[in-house]
Amino acid sequence: MTKLKTLSQRMFIPIIAIILFAAAFVVDTWENILSGYLNILQSPSVLVSDFIYIGGLGATLFNVATVMVFNIVMLRVLKFDMSGPIFAGVLTIAGFSFFGKNIFNSLPLYGGIWLYAKTQRLEFKSFMIVVLFSTGISPLVSFFIFGTGWPYVYGVPAGIAAGILTGFVLPAFSAHTIRFHKGYNLYNIGFAMGIISMVWAALLSSFQVDLRLGGPTSEASHDALVVITLILSTVFLVLAYLTDPKAHRRYRELMQSSGRLVSDFVREYGRPVTLLNVAVMGYISLAVVLVLGLKINGPVMSGILTVMGFGAFGKHPRNALPVMFGAWLGVVLTGYTLDSVGMMIALLFVTAVAPIAGRYGPWVGIVAGFIHIIITPFALSFQGGFDLYNNGFAAGFAAALIVPLIEALKKLKGEDVE
Amino acid sequence: MSQNEIRIVTKIIREMSLFLLLHGYKDFDLKLVNDPNHTYITITSAPLSEAMVTLILENLNRKRQLEIETYGWELLGDIDEKSDFAILGSLIDRVEHSLKNNQSVLKLTRVNQYL
Repeated sequence: MTKLKTLSQRMFIPIIAIILFAAAFVVDTWENILSGYLNILQSPSVLVSDFIYIGGLGATLFNVATVMVFNIVMLRVLKFDMSGPIFAGVLTIAGFSFFGKNIFNSLPLYGGIWLYAKTQRLEFKSFMIVVLFSTGISPLVSFFIFGTGWPYVYGVPAGIAAGILTGFVLPAFSAHTIRFHKGYNLYNIGFAMGIISMVWAALLSSFQVDLRLGGPTSEASHDALVVITLILSTVFLVLAYLTDPKAHRRYRELMQSSGRLVSDFVREYGRPVTLLNVAVMGYISLAVVLVLGLKINGPVMSGILTVMGFGAFGKHPRNALPVMFGAWLGVVLTGYTLDSVGMMIALLFVTAVAPIAGRYGPWVGIVAGFIHIIITPFALSFQGGFDLYNNGFAAGFAAALIVPLIEALKKLKGEDVE
Repeated sequence: MSQNEIRIVTKIIREMSLFLLLHGYKDFDLKLVNDPNHTYITITSAPLSEAMVTLILENLNRKRQLEIETYGWELLGDIDEKSDFAILGSLIDRVEHSLKNNQSVLKLTRVNQYL
């Protein structure tokens, strides 16, 4: 019982890491995992680099588990409670370790944030939300080293320096960008990093560095990833009811939350119902993928894990489903198709703007989802591909456009008085 | 007291003022006292309803969360709904409510972070 309580305090994250680590060795051999992992570490990692294609499923799961374990240990050393934002950060890191993140390209960013904390005379742990989400721009480090074609003697220091510099800028900049969309973009750091990525892309382009975008994806592991998603969601569901047999008691209350930043569901409603919500968001994500006939590759798996993670930090069915529906309409009613991986993952990552539906209702949520998905492809070419959270970049613009408009309409209708 | 600390305290005042005004408390006095390590904000108003007092105490008397403060403090002062108050709760160490001369007195205490 004590062990269950201790694990519950950590939101059972170590169990998830163990499951993914074990799964790596179930699906592949040591030799394949090692060689695949080396390929992953040497990948430029810019959008879209599917690690399942680059290193195979076993190596990718190994990469996910190692990145998770590193961050779990860091959180333990810093004596961190597993709050909603921290839980979302860890699962997002896990998700994006399917396409873009590894230990190697994340560390310089952590170093930059540590330096920033020193200059502010604050503890490094004060910036833990930014630390965890900062790894979304980790391809910048890999690109300098493995994507520019420069000799390592230049590429390695340049990559590390670029990562440290970006990490140094990010805490202050992301605190500022949150005002741009008034907290209605859950991937705020993705928005901040999109702008930083744009500057790096512009700088590199001005020196005629070829910014290679995109890469093939692998759908060969679809069935295994469906099973893994089902197992993870079910584990969270079981654990929710193990920690509290009446975990669903406060679910209606949780779903009344708009989800606007900074909504910490663990702090507001407790762990059991938050775990339940995480499980439900996992099932919903999987259902959307399967109903639309999509195949799970690295990026799609990343979307599923991120949506689950944010089940502790702003997303729930009431605010997520309308924006997902809006995004789907955006695909159906325009020339876009779900053949592109960008559109596929946008159907999941559109939930960045879920707080708009939570606050202003499902109809506005549908519009937000629609606008988000038509912006997303432009956002990628705008930011250059170093920001893995491209949907966070797009969502910032969508939210910044919609929220003031709705507030103005509310004033017209005399509904702006609380 | 650093400039950043001043900006955060100003946001806290704005948030509390907005909260009271939006809930129909149009007249209140606000007093700010600083020492090198603490900021004290005292708000005196017409008696607050029981529900208001509960809402304020529940949300502001929570454990301080510095990681929320460094990430979300810029959202303060633009109140939206309950979630905004959750951010404020991460920036305040203690809140007390008392009745004095038929007036509500709220005393907010913050341990300054940016010295």
